[in-house]
Amino acid sequence: MATHVMSESIYNLIPREEVKPPKEQRYQSKFRSTVKEEKQTNKSPNKTMGPAKVDLNAPKDYLSKRSKEPVLPEKTSFKYPDEDKRKPMVPKKEDRPLMGLKSNKNFITTNAVENIMSVPKKPAANFVDTAKGSTHPLEPSGLVPKYLNKKGYGDVPDYLRKRNGEVKRAQEEYDEYIKEHYRRGAMKHLTEGERQAVLNGLKKNWEEIHHQYQGLSVVTDTAPKKARKERMEAEMKQLERDIELLEKHKIIYIANN
Amino acid sequence: MTTNDDDYKMLELLSTTGFNGKVFAGFKVHPDKEHIIYPLGNTVIIEHIAKNTQSFLQGHTDNVSCVAVSKNGKFIASGQETYMGFKANIIIWDFQEKEQYCKLELHKVKVQSLAFSPSSKYLVSLGGKDDGSVVVWDVAKKESVCGAPAAVQSAGMTSCIAYCNNDEDKFVTGGERTIRVWTLDIANRKIRPVDCNMGQLKRYVKCIEVAPDDDYFYCGTTSGDILKIYMANNLLSKFGPEKDKYSQGVTSLALLWTGEILVGAGDGTVAVIKGDQFKKTKSHKIPGSGAITSLVLRGKGHQFLVGTEKSQIHRFNLAEFTREQLRDCHFGSVSDIAFPHGCSDLYATCSQSDIRVWNAKTSRDVLSITVPNMTCNAIELMRDGSGIVSAWDDNKIRVFYPQSGKLKYQINDAHNKKVTAITTTSDCRFIISGGGEGQVRVWKIKDQQRGDLERTMKEHKGEVTCIVVRKNDRECISASFDGSCIIWDLSRGTRHLVIFANTLFKCVSYSLDESQVLTSGTDRKIGYWETYSTTQIRETEGASTGAVNGMMVSPDGDNFVTGGDDKLIKFWDYGDAQVTHVGIGHSGAINRLSICPNQMYIVSVSQDGAIMRWKYPK
Repeated sequence: MATHVMSESIYNLIPREEVKPPKEQRYQSKFRSTVKEEKQTNKSPNKTMGPAKVDLNAPKDYLSKRSKEPVLPEKTSFKYPDEDKRKPMVPKKEDRPLMGLKSNKNFITTNAVENIMSVPKKPAANFVDTAKGSTHPLEPSGLVPKYLNKKGYGDVPDYLRKRNGEVKRAQEEYDEYIKEHYRRGAMKHLTEGERQAVLNGLKKNWEEIHHQYQGLSVVTDTAPKKARKERMEAEMKQLERDIELLEKHKIIYIANN
Repeated sequence: MTTNDDDYKMLELLSTTGFNGKVFAGFKVHPDKEHIIYPLGNTVIIEHIAKNTQSFLQGHTDNVSCVAVSKNGKFIASGQETYMGFKANIIIWDFQEKEQYCKLELHKVKVQSLAFSPSSKYLVSLGGKDDGSVVVWDVAKKESVCGAPAAVQSAGMTSCIAYCNNDEDKFVTGGERTIRVWTLDIANRKIRPVDCNMGQLKRYVKCIEVAPDDDYFYCGTTSGDILKIYMANNLLSKFGPEKDKYSQGVTSLALLWTGEILVGAGDGTVAVIKGDQFKKTKSHKIPGSGAITSLVLRGKGHQFLVGTEKSQIHRFNLAEFTREQLRDCHFGSVSDIAFPHGCSDLYATCSQSDIRVWNAKTSRDVLSITVPNMTCNAIELMRDGSGIVSAWDDNKIRVFYPQSGKLKYQINDAHNKKVTAITTTSDCRFIISGGGEGQVRVWKIKDQQRGDLERTMKEHKGEVTCIVVRKNDRECISASFDGSCIIWDLSRGTRHLVIFANTLFKCVSYSLDESQVLTSGTDRKIGYWETYSTTQIRETEGASTGAVNGMMVSPDGDNFVTGGDDKLIKFWDYGDAQVTHVGIGHSGAINRLSICPNQMYIVSVSQDGAIMRWKYPK
């Protein structure tokens, strides 16, 4: 009770400004930069696409014991690499020749004579490119003109010639076809001779009708007479118009239909 | 003496503490998620949640009875109640401007409930018991469109209204044995109701919530269950829970985005229920909160706020279902206020069964003491800060520890008829109390553990309302309803002088040099009296309409403040007896007021439960 009396006071309820302790600086690892760098360089290649999609093993290929251990190659006996190419050993002094055969050939002199008589080997065609004198074979280097001397150098190759010919022929065929097509669709041109013939024919027809017309009776008193006269007049008029048309135009086209 | 009414300035209101939790669905969250809106007396308060800044919408003539916020957040509507035979206003407020947009007057006596249409084009209002009509208002034209009786004659009172979330032409009303779906026919200016057939079920609907897609609506009932009604054919779809119904009824509902329903019950239970069986998934009971009157989601509903009948505001986190108390206001008339000596940062108030200590700057309570079923009439703080002395209507004087709020000691049967006034001497050795029977008693504090009766001074014939001690602790003055103020000699325990007037004295205050004393009471007169001879020096009109309930002379002695039934705070010049400043804001009668010791602000408490802090004019 007594502690209450001492401690409790209304003035303790007065709101006090809370003093916040200043915040400690945020911890930052000193390895931060290295970690960052490593992460950058060792960035997993499958990052963007996700891990590779691989089929699962079949159930029968279950994981068996020791299957993850590395499989060692089988043991092999040691062999020199040139063992097969090596010549057989020189026979020993005490070896007996095969089937007792013996040659009188003086190998030393024959070898010496052969060498003396042989034509010296031609030096290899090399070129030297550095001051220290490193040599390279000349022939494949491209320094010697090789393809220039080839037969048929600079000619148009056969396949091109063949192809160009084909193209040209195809174009000509096509042009022909087009021309033919147009020609078929175009109007017929009446030649000068034809025109003259048509004109003469028309004139002759007109002469005939005119002759008949002149021979008609003077009095047209019946209906058939009148009709006949009118018909003849109409025919002549038509013929006159046609003649005039043909005479007027020198060039005449006739439509296909 | 007359005061020149035109020649005063307004007191600046710094903050208000209070919330009328009894208004159903009165507590709202604005759609911007940053402001809360709640009624307090006849004002509607808009408060920024984070910044704690308040705006006051004042215009109602009586207590606000309902609040609605439009979906776009542009408008706030509030309805009021008024006296029998008068018309009750609906006021639509512009949220941005914090101004009155229009005043709509049609309902009689009380506006029960309000709802905005989804596009805020229409406002639909429901009248109270004496009105019983539904009215549709055009918000843009500021006029009524049409109205109709809310329910059939055989049904009871309609208590709530809810608008569809998408359909502009449909709303629902619910009440005692009535649930109606209304269709608005704007071309013919008609509303057509369709009654929901409930069969044998008889329910009293307290709250309605419409599903976001308008398929169903849910009604909370006083029987403690929830009705789920299909909107298309107005048929009852489901109701429940069948067992374990919510005690004291379902008072508020809210729908979550998950399809679950938040339920607030009359016994303070907040629960989340789900499914057709209305199965309870989460539940929490707020102790001592009264009914959950408002349940509002903040944003989508991850966080929701709860307003209770006992004027508490709680914030819930939905996921963890944890609760945090945001506000704990007085829910009844606040009867007294006291400042610690020489300290302006705290003040203590008492209201009904509660004593609270408040942080003056933030207006948040620091300490809350409750003695159930008793009423505290007066409060005083020991000058050394060691205790809160309170006067109770069960004839006891209780002294509490000021930090833990535990009872330090109590004086049983201090008076025969309630303890009505209390004060302490400045040396903290004596408590002086006044009772309803008219006695003034002096109690000696022994070892901080008990109070022994030192003296009984029997002169008053009526209730003692106020006791003030002189600075030298030799004398004190007590005001009483019997029309007398007596100056007592404390050393001898006898009457020294007496002031008579034809009034019920309510307050008394010494001037700075204690040569004069100011009194006031129900005759609305402020009297200046000489203390050594009790001759009246001056009398002035303290208020034109109501009794003066509280008065205090400022620490520098140049001014004094009064407050009373006229709901105004008046700031007077002591020498001229002229009102220089007036504070308008209270919606109930002012019970007491106090100037803080550092003369920074004035705190007034009123009958509607509000505590208002005013800036002290320079």
